[in-house]
Amino acid sequence: MQELNLKVLNKPGLHARPAKELVKFNKGIESEVVIKFNGKSANIKSMMAVMALGAKQDAEVTVTIEGPDEADVAKAVTEMFANGFGFPDEL
Amino acid sequence: MSEKIQGNIAIPGIAIGKIMKVGQSLDGYMAAYTPGSAEEEVSKLEEAIDTISAAIDESVEAMRAAGQDEQAEIMEAHSFLLMDPMLTDGMNDKTREIAHAPKAVLEAAQECAEMLAGMDDEYMRERSADVKDIGRRIARHLLGVKEPEIGEEPVVLCGFEVEPSAIANISDDKIAGVIMGQGSTTCHAVIIAKSRAITTVVGLENRVEDIPEGAKVLLDGNEGLVLVNPSEDELAAYEAKIKAQQEEQKRLDALKELPAETTDGVKVQLAANIGLPEDAEAAAKFGNQGVGLFRSEFLFMGRENIPDEDLQFEAYKRAIVACKGETCVIRTMDIGGDKPLAYLNIPHEDNPFLGYRAIRISLERPDLFMPQLKGILRAGVYGKAAIMAPMVISVDEVKGIRAVMEKAMAELEAEGKEYSKDVELGIMVETPAAAVMTPVLAKYVDFFSIGTNDLVQYTLAVDRVNPQISKLYDHFNPAVLQLIYRTIKSGVENGKWVGMCGEMASDPYAAVILMAMGITELSMSAPSIPKVKEKIRSVSMDEAKAHLERVMAMETGAEIREYLHSKI
Repeated sequence: MQELNLKVLNKPGLHARPAKELVKFNKGIESEVVIKFNGKSANIKSMMAVMALGAKQDAEVTVTIEGPDEADVAKAVTEMFANGFGFPDEL
Repeated sequence: MSEKIQGNIAIPGIAIGKIMKVGQSLDGYMAAYTPGSAEEEVSKLEEAIDTISAAIDESVEAMRAAGQDEQAEIMEAHSFLLMDPMLTDGMNDKTREIAHAPKAVLEAAQECAEMLAGMDDEYMRERSADVKDIGRRIARHLLGVKEPEIGEEPVVLCGFEVEPSAIANISDDKIAGVIMGQGSTTCHAVIIAKSRAITTVVGLENRVEDIPEGAKVLLDGNEGLVLVNPSEDELAAYEAKIKAQQEEQKRLDALKELPAETTDGVKVQLAANIGLPEDAEAAAKFGNQGVGLFRSEFLFMGRENIPDEDLQFEAYKRAIVACKGETCVIRTMDIGGDKPLAYLNIPHEDNPFLGYRAIRISLERPDLFMPQLKGILRAGVYGKAAIMAPMVISVDEVKGIRAVMEKAMAELEAEGKEYSKDVELGIMVETPAAAVMTPVLAKYVDFFSIGTNDLVQYTLAVDRVNPQISKLYDHFNPAVLQLIYRTIKSGVENGKWVGMCGEMASDPYAAVILMAMGITELSMSAPSIPKVKEKIRSVSMDEAKAHLERVMAMETGAEIREYLHSKI
C-alpha cells in the first residue's frame, strides 16, 4: 500500500471538474484509491463522495493506494494534484 | 367558459396544447407491484439502470447534435450521477435489504438527495433535484409506468414539480408549454425551458392537481394565466392576440439593426438593465448597446457568506464580455433592511428604505466593498466596465468611494493581478439630495445615471408599492422633471455623460424629452428597447426640443402626459 500526503491546489477545491477527472482516471487503473480528509474518506470511483469531502484549496489530504499498479498510480495521482487535474486556469 | 387559474410569470409567450401530467404520485403503481426475491429485484434494478443510462446517453447525443448545449450539459450530469457508486451502491444495498427494487430506488435517491442538499457547495445542492429525478425515472421503469405517449398535438407538461428530464425528452414541435405548482423561476426545469423559449407558468401550487390529464389548455405566459378548456370565443380572442403580437414583433425585430437616432441623426445609447450575467447575453436579441444597470445584488443573496473576489470577478467578466465593447455599468450592492442577509447583520428597521443600506453599508464594510471593487476592476480588463454607487447623498461619500477604489487598485497592483485602470466611477442619482448637488458632484464623478424609481419615490414621498397612493407616483411630476433636467444639465456642463436606468427610461414619450434635455444613454429591461427606439426614430431633435420647452412650462404631471401622448 502507498500513502501520499498531497495538497489541493485548485482554487475551487476538489470540486466537480477535478472529481470528474478522478472518476475517469479510476477506470483505467487496477488499484483502489481512497482520499481521506477531515475524518471522511472517499473512493475516487465516486464523484459525489470525492466532492462530499469538502476539500477546499490548500487542504492537505491523505491518499491511500492499494493494488498491483500502485507505484504507477501513486506517481500519476501526485502529478494530477500538482497540475490542478489538468485545469491550469484553476491554479 | 374555461376555468381560469392564476399563477406567476416564468417564461412569457402564448401557447395552446394538451395537458400531460408529470411527476405525479407513484403510490398506486407501488401498491400494485409484486416484488420477487432479493436476487430477482437486484437484477431488475441493474437492467433498469442500464436501460435508463443508455436512454440518457442517447438523448445527450441528440441534444448536442441539435446544438442544445445547455440542455445537454444538464442531462450529462444525470448520466454521471447514474454511474456514481455512491448512488448505485446505495440503490443496490437497499434493494438487497428490502427486496423491493422501486421502493429501494426511491429511498436511496431520497437519502442521497438529502445528503447533497445539506452540503456547503452550491453545485452539489443543485444536484439534489437531479438525483431525485433519476430515482423517479428508474422507479417508473421498474413499475412499468408507461412513458406518456405524445400524439400529434403539442403537449403542456403539468405537475407540482416538472422534472428537467421530462422537458428535455420532448422535441420542440411537440411541447407547447410547462405548468408547475412550485414557484421557483431559477430551477433546472425553468432554465431548460428558457433555453428553448417554452412558455412557462409557475406557482400554481396545489391547483395543478385540478387540471385533468388530456385537457386542452391555453397558457398565457405574459400574464401567468392558465385557461383550462378554453371556449371558442376565448381561443379566437387569443388567436387575434397572438397574431397582433407576432405582427408587432416583426415590426420591432426589423428595428434591431437600426440605430437609435432622431430623424436628423442625433443618437442615444439604448442599454439593458440586467440582474444576472447571462441576461446580458439574452439582451442581444433586442439590439441593446451594452448594460446601463447590472444589479449586483443577486451575487449577495441566497447565501451565507460574502461572495469572494474571484466569484464576483467571474460574474462581472461574463457580463462585460457579453457587452462586446460597449459599457457595462455595474451597480455596487444595493441591499438594506428590506432584504436582510445574515452576514450583513442589520438590526430590524422601521424604515429600511431610509435606513442602513447600499453605499452606506459598503463604505463601512471594507470586507464587503473591497472584494466587489477588486472583482470589477479585474473584470474591466475584458471590456469596458463602469462602477456605479447607489443611494449617494453627498460629496463625502463619493470621495470615500474614490479612496476605497484607489486602495483596491493598490492591492491588486501589490498582488500582481491584472486589472483595468480605465474603469469609470459614477453615481446613481436617486435621492433628491444628489440631484440638487449634481453641479458639485459632477466634479468628482465620471458619469451620472438617474435612478428614477427611487428618485420619484423620495422626491414625492410616495411609497411606490402602496396601492392607495399609486396615483401620486408619476415620473412626469414637474418636481421630478426639474431634478432630472438639473442633473442632465450639470453633467453636460461638466463634460460628464448622463444616463437613466429607472422605469422612466422605458417610456418612449419620456425618452424623447430626455434626449432633448441632453441625455446620452437610456437603460431599460431589454424587451422595452425596440419600442423606445421606434419612438425616437419618429421625431427630430428640433421637434423634441420644442416639446421639452412646452412640457417644462406645464404645471402638472397629468397635463404633461396628455400633451406628450397627443403630440408625439
